[in-house]
Amino acid sequence: MSAGFERREYNNMRIHVKPTTQFKTYTMTALLAVPLCEQEVTKTALIPHVLRRGTKRFPQTDQLRKHLDHLYGTGFAFDVFKRGNYQVMQIKLDTIHEAFIQENQNNMLEASFRFLSELITEPYTEQGVFKQEYVDTEKLTLQKKLQAVVNNKTRYAEQRCLEEMCKDEPYRFTALGKLEDLDHIDPHNLYEAYRQLIETCSIDIYVVGDTTTDKVTSLAKQYLTMDRAEINTPFHAHPYVKNRNKEQMIVDQLEVTQGKLNIGLHVPVTYADKDYPALLMYNGVLGSYPHSKLFVNVREKESLAYYASSKLDGIKGIITIQSGIEIHKVDQVINIMKQQLELMRNGEISSNELEQTKAMIRNQINELDDAAFSSISYDYNQIIAGKERNKHQLIEQLEGIEAEHIQHVAKKVELDTIYFLRDKESDNV
Amino acid sequence: MKIKTYPELKESLFFTKLDNGLDVYVLPKQGYRKTYATFATKYGSIDNHFQVEGKPKIKVPDGIAHFLEHKMFEQPEGDVFAQFATQGASVNAFTSFDRTVYLFSSTEQIEQNVNTLIDFVQTPHFTDENVEKEKGIITQEINMYKDSPDWQVYMGLIQSLFQQHPVHIDIAGTEESIHEITKEMLYDCYHTFYHPSNMCLFVVGGVDAEHVTSLAANNQSAKNIHPQGEIKRYFEAEPKAVKAHEKKIQLSVSMPKCLCGIKEVYGYEEGTSLLQKQLEMKIIMDLLFSPSSTLYQQLYDQQLITDSFSSDYKAYNTFAFSVFGGDTPDPDRMIHMIRSNIDEYIKNGLSKEEFEVSKHKQMGSYLRLFNIPELIAHSFTDYLYKNCDFFDMMSTFSRITWEGINDRLRHHFNWEVMSVSVVERK
Repeated sequence: MSAGFERREYNNMRIHVKPTTQFKTYTMTALLAVPLCEQEVTKTALIPHVLRRGTKRFPQTDQLRKHLDHLYGTGFAFDVFKRGNYQVMQIKLDTIHEAFIQENQNNMLEASFRFLSELITEPYTEQGVFKQEYVDTEKLTLQKKLQAVVNNKTRYAEQRCLEEMCKDEPYRFTALGKLEDLDHIDPHNLYEAYRQLIETCSIDIYVVGDTTTDKVTSLAKQYLTMDRAEINTPFHAHPYVKNRNKEQMIVDQLEVTQGKLNIGLHVPVTYADKDYPALLMYNGVLGSYPHSKLFVNVREKESLAYYASSKLDGIKGIITIQSGIEIHKVDQVINIMKQQLELMRNGEISSNELEQTKAMIRNQINELDDAAFSSISYDYNQIIAGKERNKHQLIEQLEGIEAEHIQHVAKKVELDTIYFLRDKESDNV
Repeated sequence: MKIKTYPELKESLFFTKLDNGLDVYVLPKQGYRKTYATFATKYGSIDNHFQVEGKPKIKVPDGIAHFLEHKMFEQPEGDVFAQFATQGASVNAFTSFDRTVYLFSSTEQIEQNVNTLIDFVQTPHFTDENVEKEKGIITQEINMYKDSPDWQVYMGLIQSLFQQHPVHIDIAGTEESIHEITKEMLYDCYHTFYHPSNMCLFVVGGVDAEHVTSLAANNQSAKNIHPQGEIKRYFEAEPKAVKAHEKKIQLSVSMPKCLCGIKEVYGYEEGTSLLQKQLEMKIIMDLLFSPSSTLYQQLYDQQLITDSFSSDYKAYNTFAFSVFGGDTPDPDRMIHMIRSNIDEYIKNGLSKEEFEVSKHKQMGSYLRLFNIPELIAHSFTDYLYKNCDFFDMMSTFSRITWEGINDRLRHHFNWEVMSVSVVERK
């Protein structure tokens, strides 16, 4: 069994290494986090899009991609996501270990670490700023991505629900920013934002594979030599602040066959709190598994939905319920869902529900280390929540949870927003 | 128990054929805490007309394989989800064109979970009432797919490519077709296709091969399942021509979605020759359409494609098709540019140097799969049903030549058998 991550600090960056021979690859992730803020959100989202177009060494995008091909098809992905009130850019690489390559290949770890570092620190520039053409094309790409949210109705409903729920805070934005900002972005102000970001943001570098912490640290010293401000941003929790006294109901209409019913719940408990394990159990009993109350009562007993589940954002303190239902049955489904919340408040949780939920969560936690990227995500969650709670401790705390602990959390849960996406037939709206 | 060792993968696979015909494969993975198991039947949405030796021919409604998959989870003593949850396992299933797969993932109580997996799939419990009840749930699943532009554009392509072959039938069926399904039909399908001789158990993870194999053997010998004759599947002959060159539907999307596909119809193929065809096409699709290709960057720079652009090649025993496309503001211009670019390659050939790089890239991607138990299990059964050894791909890669690639390119890209599927903005 592999141990946890070993940690070093260098140049105001955190380096996390898990030496292991479990995998056939070297897996690495760079995570760059900034506070989510209205003025910068779109620029921050655009930056990794432009970074992936070219570096000093590989100015053209096809050259850059061909280099990855030469490294035995190194896996490459980037994305931007929200975690609490932070916006995080993530770049991931997955490179095959030398032992599986017949020909003499130079050091694969070093080659991909160097590539990752160059993507972050040595973007291709012309006249001291990002290349105009790259910025223009990537602005259009981002615009299309923002517009494409409507294509996936499940995700659209989820996002609209959060947007309405968090109307008065930056969390309402998607991690990709806002359409209306794009017109004001040019190579100069974007490059300026990039310089600022790379100097001051929180940087976490993760490597999982057959290596050592010393080796990775020395690679960082060689390739991550950019100037960093003398700060190492500590993370702070920014839980959702409730801003309404009674629940709101929002209805949108689009050309759809199926209705999407989403509910946003406010929970004043987050990852760093001692009640967090009870909150995890609350969400499990309510809706994250096929034995949970939502699945059993909405789908199995009443045949009202194909999916009905709940999801916890433990950093932000929000639970969202999602389901796809027949449009004219919405009132019936809302009633059943509210009944389930009521059962939770009354502590009506059977010992089976308790034991099954514990076993499922335990399994999820124990599985994490079998995929390098998921072990990185779990670890980074702790970093960004500013609270170390290793897997062993979390499992131990979960074992001690009883129905009354869950009820204690349930009493603090408040229904905030009901969101319904329905068809355009205008009756009964 | 047979052991096959693959030194280039540093993996050893254990295989046993049990007395009742069930194939059991175990791949121990050192350092892994979890176990991932799939119990699969060679029975998918395309198997809608069949016969067991000595019994009458049967034709069944669209979507029944998928319906059956849903109904297996209901057991005489209740829902099997709860039992797996008690044993700390996450359980699921899916139905594709050619197979139905039941699976679990777990880090504890592996013995019980393997037994529960086999037992629930071998305990059909269909009643008039529970069959009726499932229709509401599956209708919602069908409605969910109706609103999914990605699924609609993909099925639209397959429906334009194929005239007769049941691959053009939507896996979940329609609200009308599932309405016809009865418990008797479910039992007919069940007894035909869920016989152990038509099934395969694959277990991968932190397990002991001998232990898992004897567990499965004991489970099966206790059940005393009688042998069954051969299953015959009937497919009408598929003409070489496509059904339609273009299919358009309207949905609420931000930008049109466009997929193109080219159809191949051939005599029966399986094993190494099918695998080689598939790997050659993978390299060709990569050379033409991956982000490192000239074509991709030209399309991207001209705003004719987005990050959603992708390509694939699917090969089955009697037919195959390529698929490429994604979101585009202008399907016609995108297709025009792709066609003229490929016509150039057909005339001048693909670059030998880039071919070598792409081959290594495919080998690297293949090796990376072996980190992920889920992908190993699914790829293995997928290839098994085409009589190919998923673990033996490296040797097939080594047989692929630049000359072979160029021949395959010229053979495949026949524009007369191309179909285009478009989802337009409503």
